[in-house]
Amino acid sequence: METMTYSTQDIWTWWLAAYLYFGGLGAATLSITFLTDMYCRANPRLVLWGAISGVGMLALSSLVLFGHLLHHVAVIYVINPMVLFQEPQAWIAWGTQFILWMMVWGTLYAVPYMRESPAFLRLPLLGTLLQTRFAIWLSGCCQKRRRIVGWLATINGIGTAVYTGLVIQSFPAVALWHNPGVPLLFTVSAFSTAFAYLLIVLYLGKPSEHHELLTRRYELFDLILIATELVILFSFFNYTLSGSESGYRSAQLLWHDMGWLVGFMGLGLIVPFLLNLKGVVKGWSTSIPTIAASVLVLIGGYLLRHYFMYTGVYAYPW
Amino acid sequence: MTRYAMVIDLNTCVGCNACMAACAMENQTPVWKNKWRTYVHDKEIGMAEQVRRRFFPRLCNHCSNPPCMTVCPTGATYQRADGIVMIDPERCMGCRACAMACPYDARYEVSYHDIKEGRAFYGEEELQRDSPGMDKCSFCAHRVDKGLKPACVETCVGSARLFGDLDDPNDPVAQVVASGAAQPLMAYLGTRPNVYYINDMKRRG
Amino acid sequence: MTWKFPDFSRRTFLKITGTGVAGLTMLKSIDVLSKTGSPRAKAGAGGPSEEITYSICNFCSSLCNIRVTTRTENDIKRIIKLDGNPNSTLNRGKICARGQSGLRQTYDTDRFKTPLIRVEGSKRGEAKFRPASWEEAYAYIAKRNKEANIQPWEWTMVGGWTSCVFYMNWAVPFALTNGIPNIIASPMQHCVTTGHLGTDSVTGNFNIHDEVLPDFDNAKYILFVANNASIGAVSTCRMVRFAAGRKNGAKVVALDSRQSETAAKADEWIATRPGTDLDFCLAMLKTMLDEKLYDADFLRQHSNMPFLSYRDAEGQWQLALDAKGQPRVVQERSSEIRALPAYTNDNGLDAQGRPCYPALHTPAGLTLDGHRVMTVLEAQLEEIRACTPEWAENSTGIPAATILRIAREFGSSRPSIIDPGWHGARYGNMMMLRRVQAMIQALTGGIDKPGGWIMSGELHRKQAEVIKAKAEGTAGGPPLTTLAGMPFAKLVIDVFSKGSNFGHGKPGWAWAFAAQERKAGRPWVMLPVLADTGLKESVEGTLNYQGEPYATRAILINAANPVRHYYPDSRWKEILAHKNVALVVAIDVLPSDTTMYADVILPNSTYLERGEPNVYGNGVNHDLTLVTRYPAIAPLYDTREMPDILLKITNILSGKDDAFMDTIEKLTGMNAASVREKMAKKIKDGVKSPFSAACREVAFDMAAKEAGITAPQLDAAFRQKGVYLVESKDRLLERAAMPRKLPMPTDSGRVEFYSGLFDGLRKMGGTAPNFSVLATHIPAECRPGATSILADDEFYFTYGKAPTVSYASTNSNNPVLAAINQFKKDIYTTAWIHPARASYLGIVDGDPIRITNSLTGQAADGHAHVTRLIHREAMFLYSCFGAENPALTRSVGVGTATSKLIPYSVEPVVAGFRSQEFTVRIKKITQKKGATT
Ligand SMILES: Nc1nc2c(c(=O)[nH]1)N[C@H]1C(S)=C(S)[C@@H](COP(=O)(O)OP(=O)(O)OC[C@H]3O[C@@H](n4cnc5c(=O)[nH]c(N)nc54)[C@H](O)[C@@H]3O)O[C@H]1N2
Ligand SMILES: Nc1nc2c(c(=O)[nH]1)N[C@H]1C(S)=C(S)[C@@H](COP(=O)(O)OP(=O)(O)OC[C@H]3O[C@@H](n4cnc5c(=O)[nH]c(N)nc54)[C@H](O)[C@@H]3O)O[C@H]1N2
Ligand code: SF4
Ligand code: SF4
Ligand code: SF4
Ligand code: SF4
Ligand code: SF4
Ligand SMILES: [Mo]
Repeated sequence: METMTYSTQDIWTWWLAAYLYFGGLGAATLSITFLTDMYCRANPRLVLWGAISGVGMLALSSLVLFGHLLHHVAVIYVINPMVLFQEPQAWIAWGTQFILWMMVWGTLYAVPYMRESPAFLRLPLLGTLLQTRFAIWLSGCCQKRRRIVGWLATINGIGTAVYTGLVIQSFPAVALWHNPGVPLLFTVSAFSTAFAYLLIVLYLGKPSEHHELLTRRYELFDLILIATELVILFSFFNYTLSGSESGYRSAQLLWHDMGWLVGFMGLGLIVPFLLNLKGVVKGWSTSIPTIAASVLVLIGGYLLRHYFMYTGVYAYPW
Repeated sequence: MTRYAMVIDLNTCVGCNACMAACAMENQTPVWKNKWRTYVHDKEIGMAEQVRRRFFPRLCNHCSNPPCMTVCPTGATYQRADGIVMIDPERCMGCRACAMACPYDARYEVSYHDIKEGRAFYGEEELQRDSPGMDKCSFCAHRVDKGLKPACVETCVGSARLFGDLDDPNDPVAQVVASGAAQPLMAYLGTRPNVYYINDMKRRG
Repeated sequence: MTWKFPDFSRRTFLKITGTGVAGLTMLKSIDVLSKTGSPRAKAGAGGPSEEITYSICNFCSSLCNIRVTTRTENDIKRIIKLDGNPNSTLNRGKICARGQSGLRQTYDTDRFKTPLIRVEGSKRGEAKFRPASWEEAYAYIAKRNKEANIQPWEWTMVGGWTSCVFYMNWAVPFALTNGIPNIIASPMQHCVTTGHLGTDSVTGNFNIHDEVLPDFDNAKYILFVANNASIGAVSTCRMVRFAAGRKNGAKVVALDSRQSETAAKADEWIATRPGTDLDFCLAMLKTMLDEKLYDADFLRQHSNMPFLSYRDAEGQWQLALDAKGQPRVVQERSSEIRALPAYTNDNGLDAQGRPCYPALHTPAGLTLDGHRVMTVLEAQLEEIRACTPEWAENSTGIPAATILRIAREFGSSRPSIIDPGWHGARYGNMMMLRRVQAMIQALTGGIDKPGGWIMSGELHRKQAEVIKAKAEGTAGGPPLTTLAGMPFAKLVIDVFSKGSNFGHGKPGWAWAFAAQERKAGRPWVMLPVLADTGLKESVEGTLNYQGEPYATRAILINAANPVRHYYPDSRWKEILAHKNVALVVAIDVLPSDTTMYADVILPNSTYLERGEPNVYGNGVNHDLTLVTRYPAIAPLYDTREMPDILLKITNILSGKDDAFMDTIEKLTGMNAASVREKMAKKIKDGVKSPFSAACREVAFDMAAKEAGITAPQLDAAFRQKGVYLVESKDRLLERAAMPRKLPMPTDSGRVEFYSGLFDGLRKMGGTAPNFSVLATHIPAECRPGATSILADDEFYFTYGKAPTVSYASTNSNNPVLAAINQFKKDIYTTAWIHPARASYLGIVDGDPIRITNSLTGQAADGHAHVTRLIHREAMFLYSCFGAENPALTRSVGVGTATSKLIPYSVEPVVAGFRSQEFTVRIKKITQKKGATT
């Protein structure tokens, strides 16, 4: 009885791709810096960089989402934490809470470090704030329970990264999205882009402590993550080729698109993989290839989400 | 219990679009941007001499397992005990996740601008909603609650749209669904739709 | 054991989690914003109130009964919804997309809100208007009329079908009172006349929109021939019946050159070559006669099939009448000749009152008065002897075997219906086609019988009264309200064709023109009833009557849009803009391509804002029912009603206000004294359109009296149900089925295969095959003189209506309908051509194309819809688009106008447009522009 119409959507476009991208990137950046700080080497400058840019990215991502809403007042229903009990099945509810609390814990984790940074204390408004009794008390608390705060932040961060995949996985009509590979892919990508971002920060911002060690480790992690991403994408490729018309049409769109093939797969994954591989195996004499690889990974991260949103195919039975 | 459902008989739908117009007037859809709660497609199907023109009405399926509701973070999308899937316009923040989740393209946006247009078009006093958000077919719950049929069913000049209660064994709609003569769309997605179609393919073309 | 899956719906999942968190209710959600979002739930007690009024849809001649819901809030009353009137047996509670969207006409921002006067110095067609008061507008008309010294006969009225159906009782007296012998009216030459005169010649039916409403519910076999909008696309009163018939299992066959909305619902779509349906039907008729697939007893008893006839010396068929003019038959199984009464419905008793059993076939070699005679049935077979299925295969392109099969299926499954559709025009042979269809229908005995064609309740009522008056020897009532069928048509012809009916002695210019052309030996039209032939000549000064020029210098356009609805548009633009024309007045609700050419525009209230001056019959309903309109809201703007406008213009033209009312009384029975009295009161009460309101009250009195109740009772019944049932179809058929119980309004009272009507016209000089007294073949001349097959880029031109627009009318601008048309623009606003042809021309779906008339060179641009749903040789255009008035902000520029492609060409009987009798050439262009002509 059914005739089919195949259609992509124009509901969640690049705005939402940006939301998912900055959400994942920000969350992973925070998690990585805090984990590094907690378990690798204490690294106040890195924490400050990571926390500020991570919170910034999350805020940006939230703003993008907020701006995209049709009815801004009603956002109150998802900001209220009770939403987790009322709508526990809705990933956006979780995601919103993850992001909100990530920003809270992330900031708290950074407060003691800010208080130690002369640069921060010199800042006009923030500097004064950091000198208040309350800030001093708060900073002390956080200092004392640094690991708890750090883990709360990290859990929310990982949650956020996973969420960016889960949310589009919950759209059952589109085979490209509606599969367990998506949260995995988006999480891996979030962390890979975060490592790339932090590598750039390390090279250009030079938070000098343990520079060598961190860059080498980050390069290695990023390499592994990129490799993992390639594997996941390879399985996606196979998955979409048969099984459902929706998936097959997505595959046709993706694998015929130069932006995806050259832009994302080529420049966003394979080239940085090779650059990093050489860096890890043999090392580079300058930081430029690593920085270049990282920039490519960052761009690739956005492209991944962009193309994913863009090529999700709905198969309508009319 | 009551479980509302619609059966669409493709054998007598003539593609007149009366349902679209009726629904638009009843439910104040944003006609200025060509968005409707129900659409009637006009398709050419079949091979060679068997070519056929098929009119295909569609609307929200009021799924028993509605993915649009699952993803809704505000609780704006909810299901009534009689199965009608509703949106509370005041509660909906317009994230459009439900529209992404719906496999049947049943939902559209109402923006601040549309509310403004709506005031001018349907009249300040009569406009039924004053907050933006998502919208879709409500099975005309407000009419059904008064014992009336949905607007599109009421006016269907081909009597192609039938509305009834699946839990009532005496209801013709329940009977035709139970007989298997009417089938839902893309049931394999697990949405458990409650709009059923009687096929028109038995005929010679 | 098998695995058992817990039946976890997401709801149960929710419930479970719900219980899990019951303890956390203290953190209850912030429900500040949420109210119950159900629409109109906001209407609390004591707040806004809803009200129901009943009315009649105004968007096509289906005339559906509607229920109007209004809501009042803050003292503002608004129409919020239209529905089919659930009490209506006509449209059974349903209305189509146009009907549903109707309220948006009232709220259309493009509406006329005040009278408008053309800005001094601008030309007609430039559409530069200034708002004016009614007084100013009337003063302007009076001034122009006087200054230009316009004579009564120099006025021409152009009426749309709205003005015909609802205001005929005012328009005709208006014309007579003011000495205006010229009316061009819808729905005539561009719509029904051609087709209906065909069916009517067989059944005698003729009414305002006298289409039969077939009883599809009970039919077993339905054959549609060249019709669509009158069924599925959509005429609600018929579609609801067709849907029921289909659900009841009727087999449906559709003959259409494309797969129309209706054909899409058929079991079998037969794609025919345009213009050849007559051939198909003649082959069917022949087959059914040959194979005796008919209801012999019905034909014997109730038709003129058994009448004896012969071929005269000129080869013309004549009836073998006796000296008294009575038809003669031969008694079955004998050679006994009997005379029958000239006018009766039943051949069972001969002229002497003896039981009679007329034969359908004569004994070999029967002669009478020296002629070799045969029955009409035999003569008909003789006339179409050549029209075999094989012959028809050649022209129609449909296999002979298919034609034969359809004829046999149709002839052997009863009850069966062959539906004639409404829109005549198209071809010179359309009248014959519809006539043959009526004959085929009559062969099955399916006239006024369940599952067949059933006449309207009103026709039954009128005919019963006519017959009763005849029997009692009393005079009939007022002609406009009592004459039924063909006698009514003859009255209209009589009034306007005879100069003696007017003080100035001039007949309508159409008749003067016919006489002039006939005298000059040029083609002429026998019955140019309410047609436009001669208008152009009288405007341009080439028409003479009795040696004097017969000029047209003023035009009153009343709810009509001739620029779009007559052909070609250029002709009407020239007429309206012509320097000889001193005054053009238009009464309308919305800007149209015609009102652009007016000097004065008088805004009418929309149908939802007015209570009509009359109580009406219920269109084609089988039940005899009364209906009228109630205003749902007060007029939004400074608008007036038609009768008041006509009264005022009467005052301006002739000052004969009183005579106007008296003429109304004479023609319709509406008591003038009562009208005057009530009108005086209405004026005192400050009613805006007092004449209309007064007429309404008198009309209620009249209708109530006839129904045997009081006016308040009738009013109460209308307010409660919107319709007042006088007599049901079953009861009417019991007492007045035609021809089984009552004579038909034909010349002979029987179903006429040998046509009395055409016999008369032949006597008046009709020689073309169009005037044949028997069914005969007439080819459609789409390619005059051509012998070759179609050129590569050549197509037969066809058109039909879209479900969402009325004609090419202003409701294309309705925001709801305009949006649907936009949604379906690929199908509705394009020219359909077959891929096999398109690919040859390098055209793909959506390409801009130029369409050029091969005969006249008229051209228009459009877009191609490449589809297999059309005959390879045909091009199809929905005839609803191409509006050019920029004041129609939503539909201007959409689609292609048929009136840009159709030339001026009319058939000889009633000047029906031969609007498809040509071919077009199609070529791909780079961009669609406005028309190029
Ligand atoms: N191009 C084209 N021409 C056609 C046809 C077609 O399909 N296409 N169809 C043919 C057929 S079948 C027919 S019956 C005729 C119909 O042709 P018409 O009788 O002319 O059609 P209408 O659209 O009813 O009338 C035309 C005008 O009436 C105005 N009008 C609407 N409602 C009201 C009202 O309440 N009061 C007043 N005063 N005016 C009103 C409209 O704005 C419009 O300008 O057209 C024929 N000509
Ligand atoms: N939507 C809508 N419905 C209406 C109206 C309206 O304006 N709009 N108006 C009402 C009125 S006034 C009228 S008169 C009726 C008209 O009702 P109809 O006469 O039933 O309808 P048309 O739309 O003119 O349909 C004509 C059909 O004939 C087909 N056709 C064209 N040429 C040929 C041919 O040579 N042979 C064959 N076999 N088929 C051919 C066309 O493809 C088309 O499908 O509609 C009524 N209903
Ligand atoms: S748009 Fe509204 S209804 Fe849809 S998911 Fe978001 S909040 Fe729920
Ligand atoms: S059709 Fe779409 S909107 Fe309607 S209930 Fe199902 S998923 Fe939800
Ligand atoms: S049920 Fe009501 S809301 Fe749904 S499509 Fe029909 S008219 Fe519209
Ligand atoms: S109103 Fe009925 S017949 Fe008309 S398009 Fe809608 S479903 Fe089909
Ligand atoms: S068929 Fe449609 S447009 Fe015609 S009268 Fe009925 S509701 Fe109105
Ligand atoms: Mo018509």
